[in-house]
Amino acid sequence: MTRTVSVHSYRGGTGKSNLVANLAAALARAGQRVGVVDTDIQSPGIHVLFGLAPDQIGRTLNDFLWGNCEMIAATYDRASALGQCTGSVHLVPSSIKAGDIARIVKHGFDVALLNDGFQQLSEALDLDFLLVDTHPGVNEETLLSIAVSDTLLLIVRPDRQDFQGTAVTVDLARQLDVQDANIVLNKVLPGMDRAVLKARAEEAFGIPVLAILPLCEGLLSLGSESIFGLSSPDDPYAVAVSAMAARLLR
Amino acid sequence: MEDRPSDIGALVRGIRTAVSPFRNTLRELHRRYRDLDEGRVADYIPELATANPAWFGIAVAGAGDGQMFEAGDCEQEFTIQSISKPFVFGLALEDHGREAVAARVGVEPTGDAFNSIIKLDEGSHRPHNPMVNAGAIATAALIKGDTHVERLNRLLDMFGRYIGRRPKVDVAVYASERQTGHRNRSIAHLLLNFGMLPPNVEEVLDLYFQQCSILVTARDLAMMAATLANGGVNPVTGVRALQAQYVQDLLSIMYTCGMYDYAGQWAYDVGLPAKSGVSGGVMTVVPGRMGMAVFSPPLDSHGNSVRGVAVCRDLSRHFGLHCFGSASLAGGMQLPWPAPGRVAEAAPPA
Repeated sequence: MTRTVSVHSYRGGTGKSNLVANLAAALARAGQRVGVVDTDIQSPGIHVLFGLAPDQIGRTLNDFLWGNCEMIAATYDRASALGQCTGSVHLVPSSIKAGDIARIVKHGFDVALLNDGFQQLSEALDLDFLLVDTHPGVNEETLLSIAVSDTLLLIVRPDRQDFQGTAVTVDLARQLDVQDANIVLNKVLPGMDRAVLKARAEEAFGIPVLAILPLCEGLLSLGSESIFGLSSPDDPYAVAVSAMAARLLR
Repeated sequence: MEDRPSDIGALVRGIRTAVSPFRNTLRELHRRYRDLDEGRVADYIPELATANPAWFGIAVAGAGDGQMFEAGDCEQEFTIQSISKPFVFGLALEDHGREAVAARVGVEPTGDAFNSIIKLDEGSHRPHNPMVNAGAIATAALIKGDTHVERLNRLLDMFGRYIGRRPKVDVAVYASERQTGHRNRSIAHLLLNFGMLPPNVEEVLDLYFQQCSILVTARDLAMMAATLANGGVNPVTGVRALQAQYVQDLLSIMYTCGMYDYAGQWAYDVGLPAKSGVSGGVMTVVPGRMGMAVFSPPLDSHGNSVRGVAVCRDLSRHFGLHCFGSASLAGGMQLPWPAPGRVAEAAPPA
């Protein structure tokens, strides 16, 4: 059985894609078969972290949603981006062509197809984990990704706007009967009291804080060049993500 | 969900539909039977013979929430044909009450085929039930209205309350029915002979041909069935389509007479009130729970849709829906809607 983990944040810039990529790498290094789907069709980007250049991208999630191909035909094995690793990562990117983005934003798509795609991918590749990177805010594909998730990770920065918006998402997740919803506090500054932050978040949202990730300068300066945790496995951020992966594996 | 803005509710409902395992169940059924190459498309009127035998749609709507699940050609329009009969019977009951209607048409199953010419009760000269053509014509004659147009509009409004939008009449099919409806014309004149029809026979026949030529989709039929399953109230619009007291009348007659000369086997196998039509529709009511519809034009020797019968039989067995069955016989799968305690408890939406 594939465990579907959806990663969402109410606002942009919370470090969602970086977390998905690092988590995928950590799981793959632990021997897991990991699928990653970029459902952020309005502003895709995670392919960059996996070293997939624009000229390497043929079929995308868009093609699957338009009925042009099977999900598996839009899947890219990213072993090359992971170095030595016993598991694997299979990425389904969204199209970065302006015309494709405009078309899907203007005309929409049958959101149920996305669920079919997740199932196809999980079965065809016999995945252990399916990580879903989502678009910020509330839209149909995000809600679907939340609804199908076995585990939901909501990324929140220690910021009042993030807190307010996330409460909306938590409420929707509840309406969609998500059983295992968790908060991930990200970009936490060194001086902040982690215990207080954790208590405040758990009180505000009524769901557990799965991890507290520090603001990571190394990750920022890398500028999405590659997956940070692979080159700096001892950095506190990478250590915390590895611990998250270990918790997911339990 | 009551306090939340309705658009959030609709969004969440849509997502629940998209991720429900029941959607896959319907798609598997569709895959299982789409290549079932049996039966023949009806050709007793020329316009029906133009239907594509590959058309195949399955739609199921929840009685409480109107949540719609679909697989295949659920937006393909077709003429409602005999599936109109129970609904017109319902309007006649509302217009005149049970006693007056019972004087014109009975409720006994005949076991006759869909194309049987006529059999009237020897003593009363009533047609046996509203599902055979003689009974349906006698029922159409009961619809109130000062003019033909008013009667037609009342019929269309009535169907509109069940569907959630006012349907249209397919003029080509209507003209074709009218031109070739010699058997129905003879039935009407025999009824007139016995004083069971008013003298405006042609107007009555016109209304009957028009009611049969109303355009619907599998989705529409599922919503009509869900409305009956919901005690007569459309679960999406909240509009009452039929007085609550008459819902049991329609369901009883559908149960005993809804599937032509297959009604007994259907009641035995599927165990649910249903109505089929020669254009390939089958509509089935699971009281208090849901409405199901299948559209597939090829018909078996009884005049019922081959794929329609197969799908309904599978759904009934799979989910333990037979009205005299035990839910524990279901194959372990859960429907999106729980079984109600009793039909009467099915509440209209807030």
